[in-house]
Amino acid sequence: MSRRAPPRSRARALGLLLGLVGCDPAFDGDARAPKAAHPPVAPAEDAAALDFAPAAFARLTTRQYRALLLELFGDTAPPHLQEDTYPYLFASVGASTEPLSESGVQLLEEAAAAVTAEVFADPARREALVGCAPTSADDPCVAAFLTDVGRRAYRRPLTATELARWTGVVRQLGAADPWTGLRSALSGILQSPYVVYRVELGEPHPTDPGLRVLTDWELATRLSLLLWDAPPDGALLDAAAAGRLSTPDGLAAEVDRLLADERAREATEAFFEQLLDLGRFDRATPDPATYPAFTPTLRAAMRAEVLLLVDDLVWRRDVDVRALFSEPRAFVNAELAAHYGVDAPGASAVAFVPVELPADGPRAGLLGLGAFLTMNAHAVDTSPTLRGKYVLERILCAEVPPPPGDVDLDLAAGGEEAATLRERLEQHREDPACAGCHALMDPPGFLFEHFDAVGAWRDTEGGQPIDDSGELLGVPLHGAAELGRLLAGHPGVGPCVVRQLFRHAHGRLDVEADEVALEQLAAGFAEDGHRFRPLLARVATHPSFRVIAVPAAEESP
Amino acid sequence: MSGPWSGRPPLSRRAVLRGAAAGLPVALALPTLEAMLPRRARAEELRLGPIFGVYFWANGLPWHGGHGSAQAVGADRWTPPTTGAGFTPSELLAPLAAHRVSPVTGLEPKTEIPASPDGQGDGHMRGFMVSLTGDRPRSEGFDHPSHTLTALRPSLDQVIAKDPRFYADFPSPYRSLELGVSAARFHDYGHWNAISYNGPDSLNPATMDPARLYDRIFGVSTGDAEAGRRALLLDAVLDDAADLRARLSGADRQRLEAHMESLYEVQRRLDLGDIACGDPGSPSSSSDLRTQARTMSTLLARGLACNITRVFSYMLTSPATTHIFSEVGAVQDMHTVCHAGDWDAVYRITALQMACFADLLDLLDQELDPTGASLLDRALIYGCSEYGEGWQHDVKEMPVVLAGGADGGLVRGVHVREPGGNLARVHLTVLNALGLETSSFGFNGGETAELLPGLLA
Repeated sequence: MSRRAPPRSRARALGLLLGLVGCDPAFDGDARAPKAAHPPVAPAEDAAALDFAPAAFARLTTRQYRALLLELFGDTAPPHLQEDTYPYLFASVGASTEPLSESGVQLLEEAAAAVTAEVFADPARREALVGCAPTSADDPCVAAFLTDVGRRAYRRPLTATELARWTGVVRQLGAADPWTGLRSALSGILQSPYVVYRVELGEPHPTDPGLRVLTDWELATRLSLLLWDAPPDGALLDAAAAGRLSTPDGLAAEVDRLLADERAREATEAFFEQLLDLGRFDRATPDPATYPAFTPTLRAAMRAEVLLLVDDLVWRRDVDVRALFSEPRAFVNAELAAHYGVDAPGASAVAFVPVELPADGPRAGLLGLGAFLTMNAHAVDTSPTLRGKYVLERILCAEVPPPPGDVDLDLAAGGEEAATLRERLEQHREDPACAGCHALMDPPGFLFEHFDAVGAWRDTEGGQPIDDSGELLGVPLHGAAELGRLLAGHPGVGPCVVRQLFRHAHGRLDVEADEVALEQLAAGFAEDGHRFRPLLARVATHPSFRVIAVPAAEESP
Repeated sequence: MSGPWSGRPPLSRRAVLRGAAAGLPVALALPTLEAMLPRRARAEELRLGPIFGVYFWANGLPWHGGHGSAQAVGADRWTPPTTGAGFTPSELLAPLAAHRVSPVTGLEPKTEIPASPDGQGDGHMRGFMVSLTGDRPRSEGFDHPSHTLTALRPSLDQVIAKDPRFYADFPSPYRSLELGVSAARFHDYGHWNAISYNGPDSLNPATMDPARLYDRIFGVSTGDAEAGRRALLLDAVLDDAADLRARLSGADRQRLEAHMESLYEVQRRLDLGDIACGDPGSPSSSSDLRTQARTMSTLLARGLACNITRVFSYMLTSPATTHIFSEVGAVQDMHTVCHAGDWDAVYRITALQMACFADLLDLLDQELDPTGASLLDRALIYGCSEYGEGWQHDVKEMPVVLAGGADGGLVRGVHVREPGGNLARVHLTVLNALGLETSSFGFNGGETAELLPGLLA
């Protein structure tokens, strides 16, 4: 448990803001210097200053476990598994902090039984998998199959003990029918903790007893889980077997190969779904009576366009990912085009087409899209507070505390003469208990007031003209597009992307020991023009991805 | 975590036999192991013992005078106007009154509130933690800004399910079942979508889909050759786990041990003889809360009747739920409705949730177990919520309803009023009513040795 980052250690990137706002719990301005320096194994930009943290003991996420089944067996009926959870946005963090429950373990057992039963029910399929037709448990083909499938499932060669263990299962349960024995052994392998968990024990560091270095096998799994959200393929395991991941060139070659694969594109999409909190958008519930236009198909289109935009910036064009906030190109189908009031020739219910939004128009980038505007609104009213909070927290990695438990959040009771939400919020902010944080959150949120709770344009609110002036951290602005342009060049955005990707990659919150690594990665990200793909390669080849600290002495029974 | 790893559970049939084969001393109570007896004989010869359930609804109560004067409100529609046996039910409790429930009013958490990190006094988090575990949230890792919190210890359902005295030598196939109805959730993590915990960070997520609950209760593969193989191959899985365990330390080792304990439980279930349960037919899902709740309650009642488990937790709605109670005309999600102080809507929402609770009690009352007792006679159901009211998250006047007769352990139909009383008195009373003699309960300032008056039979 000591590995959990103290909450206040987060968001130091914005420590500068501390003096600016009266919302102190969020911003811990303490710029602590890293502690002990450890020599890294691989070359680093600033090796002397690096420090390392213990690895999180994570299980594969449900998505990753499904990918393992796909890697081993091809398509099978999708098994029910315990759902992932997303603490601090990421399933990988949930997988290292929230253990499988008993029902989760039972679901795994049932999944292993069902998948192997499906594959073995078809004689052609099982023979293709096993590569031969065993005549008995002692048929050499049994050991050959277990050796091969064991390596793919464990992501390392089986030890002699493990091979004997699974051969023993074949013998014990396959006396009458070797296929039954093989199927049972395979079902067991799929449940081994070495398969279900990311076991990262490492080997001794050449010079520092306080550190461990991941083996090539362990690194191979880390690489593929980060870059593919899936277990290693045969080629990556071969690279690990040949020791190529221990050489800078060999490692770079594998990273390039993984990044060139379609799976890297899907994994990027999965990362951005989590980073941008689209799970919350999926659960947003605009009032159907007020917003009849918000149909299930419109919701699906809003989600799709975000991922199309990310894909365009990261994979098709490989440009500065911060353009996410200023990009004038949107990807719309017919329903979205109508919602936004733009012409989109060629768009249909299913066809998304790129449209160039007018340069002086109100929408640009993510913050002008339905998903962001809807997920940060109430069922009927907009929420400048939630929209501003998202900008600060999700885009700049700042934290804003929730309201104290004893305040009246009832804005509807704000008085007769207060017609607009802005006016009501401003009255609300007269309460000193609320003023500090709302002074931080609301002003960027006001910039979006021309967009209603499902992101459609509106000229008035409550019969009053809309005032969409506001500010971001003291910089006065007008309208959402201006904010987007500011964010596209904002120095806080790059380090925030790096910090979030680091958490996702390591399956844990960053801790103090990670600060230098984060700074190095952020500097590299800037050098690369904030392109995301090279950032993935930097994270994957950085010493922090390979070297782990021995956990502080913990009692061990 | 649930304590030091204790190796195989005492009732793994194979473990017992294997121990005997290896010449180790083993308990020779084998012939009386329930799992090894034919069902009919069990029903006739054994008392099955009490059932414990937690019934949780989000949202607490409509604001009333007991919560203070900050909100101008009408009458208290929850607290019965009279106390003791034969009390006059309140409007909200009326649907439950037919089942002679015993409401307990006026209680509140007494746990300390550490100064750091901030926010641990938020009644929301403190309220549901104390309701469920008798303890405050864990301070380490508590993060109010992101609403990250975890329990310090197991919830009451798990305390009971894992108390060796509760199942004694007659374990049910499942030590406990967790189910829920509304899938709306406040966050995608932490304790906002589960009410059953094994300890810090370790949740027992609720099964929310009727088809999945049906599979868990009626689709367990047991007794045949294939189940036997599946049980046996888990020995090899456990051997792999034991190798890994030896290479881990600290919290990582504890996590693996918890996983191993679950594997033993899965293995034990696969090993059981026939647990045929009267199959109520495959259920269908509904988007209507009460209909869906009835479906889940029907499956649960049938499962309890054939002793699939004796402990359950039932999360009608999750803490701080964002469920939109359009069923009763609400437009905003519940959390927003509470913060808006729309007490009429909160009343209708609470009334609907009580109607769902009453539906479950109806079903338990109709379902007779093999001994002829109604499930409700045998059950003790602890109905609770997350705070007193949802506007300020005030923890005064926490709602508590004790339903059922606890197999003769609990007095029914009594209103106990203890203004300012310690909420952990409920947990203590529950444990003792179930026959789990306990002298005190509650933690970190919330300790109590006082039973609720007049409830133990």
